[in-house]
Amino acid sequence: MARLPFDNDIKTLRFLSGEMTQGDLGDKVGVTRQTIAAIEQGKYSPSLEVAFRIARVFGKPLEEVFRWAEE
Amino acid sequence: MSFREKIHWVAFVALLLAFGWYFISYPWPIMDTQEGVGAVAAMLFPVTVFIIGLMSILTAAVAIRSPKEANLKEDERERIIHLKGTHMAYYPLVLGVWGNLFAIFYHISAAGRLNLLIATVVLAELVRVGGQLYYYRRGY
Repeated sequence: MARLPFDNDIKTLRFLSGEMTQGDLGDKVGVTRQTIAAIEQGKYSPSLEVAFRIARVFGKPLEEVFRWAEE
Repeated sequence: MSFREKIHWVAFVALLLAFGWYFISYPWPIMDTQEGVGAVAAMLFPVTVFIIGLMSILTAAVAIRSPKEANLKEDERERIIHLKGTHMAYYPLVLGVWGNLFAIFYHISAAGRLNLLIATVVLAELVRVGGQLYYYRRGY
């Protein structure tokens, strides 16, 4: 499977947000725990809407959550 | 494992068991007779009841064990997995339809065509559900 061209800091941000679980984040974003896990591991590229929702949960701009891997 | 993935496993196993029994137990020597058509109808009934019954019982059992997940709507990743599986199933379905067309041209018996049609639907379903399970296991 081709790796996605961007990384993310969701795992770190979850930890910094009171050790939020993948399930809690999934509930807040409106996706399943498995989808959060797939995004975190770089297996699934979320839609722009879900990416923005994740960033909003952490109160961060999108580019602080998702980063283009070549940068 | 998510609720939907579990349900897909239930469907996959139910299909394999039910139609595995059907194709092993079908009286192939009488296929080209009128009784062969009757056998298809007689065997499809228990197969259908078995699939519906097993899926209902196991789906209810899984839902009782994880009611929160059972009430969740399909999310975007699951929707894409769903679409990918359905897309994969299109190919065996088309091949089966062509097979049936040739079966008509070559005067294959009615029960022969029925069995080919059933095999087509079962294969397409197995590819659809199996494909979805593959994507669920892979993460996407």
